[in-house]
Amino acid sequence: MSTRRQAITLYRNLLRESAKLPSYNFRMYAARKIRDTFRANRTIRDYEEIDRQMVAGQQNLELIRRQVIIGHLYTTDKLVIENKKSLKPSDD
Amino acid sequence: MSFTQIARSCSRLAATLAPKRIASAALVQSQQARMMHRIAVPAVANQWSQKFGVRSYSAKSTIEDIKFRVLKVVSAYDKECRRNRWQTQSVRRYSAKPPLSLKLINERVLLVLKLYDKIDPCKLNVESHFINDLGLDSLDHVEVIMAMEDEFGFEIPDSDAEKLLKPADIIKYVADKEDVYE
Repeated sequence: MSTRRQAITLYRNLLRESAKLPSYNFRMYAARKIRDTFRANRTIRDYEEIDRQMVAGQQNLELIRRQVIIGHLYTTDKLVIENKKSLKPSDD
Repeated sequence: MSFTQIARSCSRLAATLAPKRIASAALVQSQQARMMHRIAVPAVANQWSQKFGVRSYSAKSTIEDIKFRVLKVVSAYDKECRRNRWQTQSVRRYSAKPPLSLKLINERVLLVLKLYDKIDPCKLNVESHFINDLGLDSLDHVEVIMAMEDEFGFEIPDSDAEKLLKPADIIKYVADKEDVYE
């Protein structure tokens, strides 16, 4: 049986790992997907269903971890959108 | 004086003069060599400077001149940079973080919270409870804590994260971690 704390830890780990994805599109998609899925499934009360979702979440966490490594092996240039993000209006 | 005597003294004279003559010849030679050296050096230098584009400044350029020239180039570069700001904005990175104070931590925490889209900036207060007052759920709370981790550059373990339920708690926690006491 999975507890609330486990779910929150999983959510945290998923978000943290997905932030490491080098490709902008995958990174953004992962963050969106994680948030939406957790929010959509927050009302589940059936314990078996919760366990099933938790296992799926763990598998996805492993998948993201693998994908981070593979993504770092085959990096590409950053997109234009990403570079814009670093231009903070800092001193004016 | 007999003829042989004269001949002998002449030969003696010649013998005493001979080393002098040799020495003077050597002197002339060495002087010539010195002159050759003087002629040769500028020629070689010219060749070098032509070959490698070495600019030889005149000896008159003082420190002031050099300073002036350098400053002129630097200011021109700065002007150019400012014009092309959007292409080449230079980011200065210093090795150390700016020193934190409680006030600065307070401001930064509240700024991060204000920028979080699910929090109403009007309701935000140092003492407002994330879940009860600001209407966040536990998932939003996790995201708030992660935003704080990004802002202050260290990880907050889960066991500590679930106790940080107010902005004031976060400020205190960060101050403890960074050894800020006043």
